Amino acid sequence: MIRFENASVTYPGGVEALKNVTLEIPDGQMMVIVGLSGAGKSTLIRAINGLVPLTGGDVMVDGVSVREAKPKQLREIRSKIGMIFQTFNLVKRTSVLNNVLMGRLHGAGTMRSLLGWYKPVDIEIAMQSLERVGIVEKAYVRASNLSGGQMQRVGIARALAQEPTTILADEPVASLDPPTSHVVMRDLQRINRELNITTIVNLHFLDLAKVYGERIIGMRNGELVYDGTGAQADERVFRDIYGRSLTADDMMGQDAPAAAAG
Amino acid sequence: MTASTSSLGATQRPAKPRRSPWTIIAIGAFLVITWWAASEEFGIGFDVVRVVNNLTRGASILAEFFPPNWSYLPQTYGPMLETFKMAVIASIIGCGVALPVSFLASRVTTPNLAIFLADRGILNVIRALPDLLYALVFVSAVGVGPLPGIMALVLFNIGVVAKLLSETVDGVDPGPIEATDAAGGNRTQMVRWAVLPQVLPNYVAYSLYVFELNIRASAVLGIVGAGGIGNNINTVRRFFQYDNMSVILIEIFVFVFIIELISIWLRRRLV
Repeated sequence: MIRFENASVTYPGGVEALKNVTLEIPDGQMMVIVGLSGAGKSTLIRAINGLVPLTGGDVMVDGVSVREAKPKQLREIRSKIGMIFQTFNLVKRTSVLNNVLMGRLHGAGTMRSLLGWYKPVDIEIAMQSLERVGIVEKAYVRASNLSGGQMQRVGIARALAQEPTTILADEPVASLDPPTSHVVMRDLQRINRELNITTIVNLHFLDLAKVYGERIIGMRNGELVYDGTGAQADERVFRDIYGRSLTADDMMGQDAPAAAAG
Repeated sequence: MTASTSSLGATQRPAKPRRSPWTIIAIGAFLVITWWAASEEFGIGFDVVRVVNNLTRGASILAEFFPPNWSYLPQTYGPMLETFKMAVIASIIGCGVALPVSFLASRVTTPNLAIFLADRGILNVIRALPDLLYALVFVSAVGVGPLPGIMALVLFNIGVVAKLLSETVDGVDPGPIEATDAAGGNRTQMVRWAVLPQVLPNYVAYSLYVFELNIRASAVLGIVGAGGIGNNINTVRRFFQYDNMSVILIEIFVFVFIIELISIWLRRRLV
């Protein structure tokens, strides 16, 4: 379980990206965070694995304080939290398999990973992760030769290779076209359900958020302004989160299954 | 709708900013320094007219370079091979050492300010002296032969490769670094899997470049007794055997050219 306790982040420039947030995310939940850019969504997600250090309050991951963790403990916490990025963050000049094996670094030992002598069991886990996102045939292809959707699935496989309890996804579909976005979101949803991995996703398309969010959190100016189910989140709620009336730009629109249900 | 072209919606175009007075000051300073360096009173007395007038004086010496004395060629095989071996050893050691050193010389891979500054400082000191001076120092320390030449080249290679590579590391895509951090990898693992794959083609290119420089440099190093083909250059120069000298020059030219071709081919496959 992840718990925010009055967590605050003020960046060196003085920007308050997170203001006194208190929030509990139970194990196995699929939670979507919505809000305008600059509302603090990325900061909220990065506070969980300590990529952004807190300046006030605390975040507890399975009872361990992220703020007080020493570097070694922090790596331990991070090894259980997979992360997926908007721009995929793959090393394009190396193979897909090498990218996925980055998810095994924590347990591999410095000397072994330095030489690239991964244990067979690590390679097996990496291959299984690729199978789970349906892209194992690309294992020995250079990452630069993949399409955007394929790259993001490699990103998901890399997170899965950590055998995580939690997956953080920071705008995972913002660089993808609508059909591919749904493929990637369905992958995340399936992984959440089948492996019971807590999944926290930043999205800016409201219709996507409603379809895939078991729970939706709304953020505005670093504060939590909404916390409820996807079904409850109607247009009025989103207007409130965004502080303005909604436009077509806020919807992905195309071929969103069951999006009309709201 | 094209109504906005002239009326209300259009914002005024900005005036062209005035040229900064510093531009004129910089150009003026540049001209003054050039005059100072070349002038008769303060400088070295560089005179273009004299260069043109005396242009033909060297012709008689140049004429002695031709025809090349090809019978001298077999005597250069041994020293040329020594030059090649020196370049190989110096490149492997120098580039090998330069790899970790350049990661320590970039803030991207070395956030620790003290280590970063110490490493940068050492590199600046190494680069401050030319390879020929290193060769002189090492010749007096360990005696004549290829060893002082190799030692001088190693230092030279570390200086060049670490400088170029650390600047390449400064510019890598930070995304994969964030990804290894997020996966709980430590710094060594981050460098190995997020940074090294990104800079590897550059590293190979710099190493090949340095190898080329080594072949050329060892021609000069031999003049101070540091082994290789340079010893022969020194000998034929002292005895005014310019027809032999031209054989050596042509040989070096062909050799460097072949290495250049090979490295172009290698780089194309790697990048």
